[in-house]
Amino acid sequence: MKLLKIAVAAATGLALLGGTALADDKPVVGLIMKSLANEFFQNMMVGAEEHQKRRGDYELKAVGMQNETDFESQINAVENFITQGVDAIVVAPADSRAMVRPLKKAMEAGIVVVNFDVALDEEAKKQQGVELAFVGPDNRGGAKLAGDALGKKLGEGGNVVIIEGNPGADNATQRRLGFEDSVAEYKLDLLDSRTAHWETEEANQVFATMLTAHPDIQGVMAANDSMAIGVVKALESAGRTDIEVVGFDNIPAVGPMIEDGRMLATVDQFGTDMAANAIDMALDVVSTGEQLQGWVKTPIELVTAK
Amino acid sequence: MTTETLSETAAAAPKFSIRTVLHNAGIGLALLALIVFFSLFTEHFLTPNNITNILTQITINLVLAVGMTFVILIGGIDLSVGSVMAFAAVVAGKAITLPGFGPAEAIALAVVAATLTGVFCGFLNGAISAYWSLPSFIITLGMLNIARGAALQVSEAQTIYSFPFAFEEFGSAMIYGVPVVFLVALVLVFIAWFVLNFTVFGRLIYGIGNNEEAVRLAGHSVARYKIAAFTICGLTAGIAAVVYMARLNISSPIAGIGFELNAIAAVIIGGTSLSGGRGSVIGTLLGAFIIGVLANGLILIGLSDFMRQMITGVVIIVAVILDYYRAKYAAK
Amino acid sequence: MAAASLAAAPAAAPDRAFLTVEGLKKHFGGVKALDGVSFSLDEGEVHALVGENGAGKSTLIKILSGVFPYDAGQIVLAGEAYRPLSPHDAKDHGVQVVHQEFNLLEHLTIAENISIEQLPKNSFGLLDRKEMNRRARKALDAIGLTDVDVTAPVRSLGIAHRQLVEIARALQSKSRILILDEPTATLTERETKRLFDIVAGIKADGVTVVFVSHHLDEVFAICDRVTVFRNGKTIATDLISETTPEGVVQRMVGRKLAAEQEEHPDRHALGESALRLENLVTAANPGSTGVSLDLRYGEIVGISGLVGAGRTEILRGIFGIDPPQSGKIFRDGAEVRFKGPRDAIAAGIGFVTEDRKDEGLILGMPIAANISLANMGSVSRSGLLKLAEETRQAVASAARLTLKYGRTSDPASSLSGGNQQKVVLAKWLARNPKVLLLDEPTRGVDVGAKAEIYAILKDLAREGVALLVVSSEMPELMTLADRILVLAEHEIQGEVKRPDFSEENILKLAYGQTPGAGENDK
Ligand SMILES: Nc1ncnc2c1ncn2[C@@H]1O[C@H](COP(=O)(O)OP(=O)(O)OP(=O)(O)O)[C@@H](O)[C@H]1O
Ligand SMILES: [Mg+2]
Repeated sequence: MKLLKIAVAAATGLALLGGTALADDKPVVGLIMKSLANEFFQNMMVGAEEHQKRRGDYELKAVGMQNETDFESQINAVENFITQGVDAIVVAPADSRAMVRPLKKAMEAGIVVVNFDVALDEEAKKQQGVELAFVGPDNRGGAKLAGDALGKKLGEGGNVVIIEGNPGADNATQRRLGFEDSVAEYKLDLLDSRTAHWETEEANQVFATMLTAHPDIQGVMAANDSMAIGVVKALESAGRTDIEVVGFDNIPAVGPMIEDGRMLATVDQFGTDMAANAIDMALDVVSTGEQLQGWVKTPIELVTAK
Repeated sequence: MTTETLSETAAAAPKFSIRTVLHNAGIGLALLALIVFFSLFTEHFLTPNNITNILTQITINLVLAVGMTFVILIGGIDLSVGSVMAFAAVVAGKAITLPGFGPAEAIALAVVAATLTGVFCGFLNGAISAYWSLPSFIITLGMLNIARGAALQVSEAQTIYSFPFAFEEFGSAMIYGVPVVFLVALVLVFIAWFVLNFTVFGRLIYGIGNNEEAVRLAGHSVARYKIAAFTICGLTAGIAAVVYMARLNISSPIAGIGFELNAIAAVIIGGTSLSGGRGSVIGTLLGAFIIGVLANGLILIGLSDFMRQMITGVVIIVAVILDYYRAKYAAK
Repeated sequence: MAAASLAAAPAAAPDRAFLTVEGLKKHFGGVKALDGVSFSLDEGEVHALVGENGAGKSTLIKILSGVFPYDAGQIVLAGEAYRPLSPHDAKDHGVQVVHQEFNLLEHLTIAENISIEQLPKNSFGLLDRKEMNRRARKALDAIGLTDVDVTAPVRSLGIAHRQLVEIARALQSKSRILILDEPTATLTERETKRLFDIVAGIKADGVTVVFVSHHLDEVFAICDRVTVFRNGKTIATDLISETTPEGVVQRMVGRKLAAEQEEHPDRHALGESALRLENLVTAANPGSTGVSLDLRYGEIVGISGLVGAGRTEILRGIFGIDPPQSGKIFRDGAEVRFKGPRDAIAAGIGFVTEDRKDEGLILGMPIAANISLANMGSVSRSGLLKLAEETRQAVASAARLTLKYGRTSDPASSLSGGNQQKVVLAKWLARNPKVLLLDEPTRGVDVGAKAEIYAILKDLAREGVALLVVSSEMPELMTLADRILVLAEHEIQGEVKRPDFSEENILKLAYGQTPGAGENDK
């Protein structure tokens, strides 16, 4: 494996030499994002663009997707970047398995690859013989932060439900697992767990019905803030002020809700900086040839009323 | 087989609607069966709170489906309503959060902005497909993307929030446990029913769906009625946007993904023929109820998300098969 | 043709009857479409079914061909009880039908339509287009449609050609009984004659032919026996050789019909020019000099010609359906340009189209709605329908045209073919047009109703309406028209004035320069 790394480093050097044909001799970074319709990634993108302006010593080529599940366009983007001969690819994979192969191709072409936001699947990486570090937040750990906040508030035996993200999405799975960790730790009673596909209106409908089925709900863990908003609205319609809600992402719209106590907590994973940080690391690798190792965790923070 | 006499005068109107009532009975029975089933097998289904919930939950779909009924009756389809709703909500969200307006003005501004946005998109759908006689499927598929893109562009992909309190009040207001937004939808159903059954416009909508050429040769501007149908559909998408905003107190550019399919399902389950010319908005009302009751009841019964999705699909197909037999029986 | 299948069939009853129908009943809701029908078919005979519009002929045919089941009675085919479950089942029993209303798939080619029941496959199991086209070519040639391209879509055909394609389709498979429901209603002389030759041919092969027509001359020309229907019952079956047309009509209507009104007893003065065409050329009517004619108020001008001569196209050009490429249209002496039917209607013109299923009626909608369709203004106020008024008008129109129907709220599809035609007429009469274009106005209408329609049209002329009538029936034109323009190859070949009216004079002009007219009649 060492050998491979050396080969990659050497190839990287070569690529750098080849890259001199590109404008300004600046290294070129290809950024592959998930759906820019999602405000989380939109903000991240804006953060990356600002970062590029600030540093000014590299060139940024960014690509987004149509929607959450459109990993095909990510694969195409990787291939395009290989053809263009970029120096580094920084990618938030839409599918933790499907993206392994094309990224392996990129590495073989001597491109530095940094995987952020969602980790590539370990099994798949092993199968393909790829060794690649991950830079990103711990979704599971983050969800557990929020879940723990709820657990502390309710105490042992509290009745909770989970509103999940898109079934099959890795971050949705991680967050659900994180919530379940808290449920186990605080011995909460998990009454129901359902998806609302990250969406406010659906979360509103689904939760309103869950509340009918389980009027004794005491706490709600929503896998993102958009859904948490839908839950809060359903609670308002039902006239229930005794139920605690936690979310994830810390989008601006939940700020007032945290302030006035309609939400107990959310989790900030500093999405705006996440891509920028990953780019920094990629550029370091390009210049030093020193590979990243394992999981480079990025900061997460629980947000509650002050 | 006797030749009719003048005594038949005025029989046409009620006859026509008795037929529609009979027609709808099939779907109504299916709805009744679902209601009975869920009442028996879940504890909370028939509680006042849950009924209120269901009414709230079907409102947006019902509003969209009313407009969709017009489009499907002329033999078209509108795939863009979900996106147009999001676009209208975002434009209205921008309008309502403009600084320097009192709550009442801001709300009025938002309502106008949402409906005008919807009308504009609907008009474009209709005008383009009518002028070049292109299939509305593909034109509205284009609009689905345009409106979604526009919504994201205008909002910069951010959720817009903090609307006037009065707006929220309206969104959650009840009259005897009936959500006001649902009453708004019901009024739309009534207006649509009236227009379709008692106006020249409605008559020609049915006519065009049955035989466009015959209507054209009888001297009517088919294009104009088609454009009108799509514009109505856009208008209801705008109204749905207002309901969305009032209920959730946010405008999200990713709202309404897939709503077009639910609206189409409500219309078709309601007995309106996808090829146009046959159906009623009362059926659409029942269709929206079936979808809503199903979504609600299956959660109450505790079915997993995946089972719920499968069963919803099965019920849609069964409802349409039942309607096939009903239509066949009625034809004899 | 069907000799092989006949030989295989069980021996027929001694009287050669191999299809017998006893006490057949069929109700549609409250309507007794068939109320006791009994008759029999002999092997190898040509058997006519006649009766007024709505008497039940097509219903019987649909039962025999498995379109719908019957309520009571029995049918015996070749010694076995016969209850076809579907059209397919009927075909397996050797019963082939050409229905009164067309069943072609508009967007498919003629060849595909002809082979649709049994598409030829090549050795890979794929569609064998060559073979399909070859079969279609053969089928069309057999009925004399040599100049029609089998790869053209059916929608490009006029109704006469569509009728012929339907016949060709039915003829290409072997059958024991071939049923033709008003096959000649849209055909001109030439095609009708060809059809009769074909009928004679297959009869010689032992096939039984059932023939429905409102033209008794045709019935008497080719049939062996005739069964008369009245109000859903069979009245009698006669040998053609032992009865007369008058006798048949008397059985049909249950009384003696007054001698047909003779000629125009009151020749009235003609008014100003209502509609004038000057060298009108449309894409569908590409004659080199175009069409010129002058129609005056109070006048009835007939247009005659063979299928494909371009008769319908003239009317479509006037009505703004096919835009003029050159030439002029004058209405009341002033030049007009119609952008569509809307403009033409606004200028006081009405158009009774020939194709009632596709252009004339909204079959799925109530009779009343169909009658008011071109005249919404009179049944509405500021956009709101006056439904009672609409029903009243529909009832009145129906009575005027002796429409046979259940309720005005029944869909137009519940009417018999002839009665549907009357609704198309009623729609335009309701509008009170000043200029009325009529394309095959009495297609499928029975003898009695026809006379009444003629009387109505003549009354209109007397009131000053200008009428332009296209018809394939020469007697119809000769009864109605003041003069007849004869068309061939998209150009008017000449005019025949009333004193010179005779089939011979008209045909001479129609065939005159033209060995075989091309193009389609649409
Ligand atoms: N589907 C239907 N629903 C209701 N009534 C029907 C239906 N089909 C036919 N009828 C009625 O049955 C009667 C017989 O109709 P049918 O079509 O057999 O007449 P027909 O003898 O073929 O007349 P025509 O000469 O006009 O073609 C008519 O009164 C008609 O209105
Ligand atoms: Mg008939």
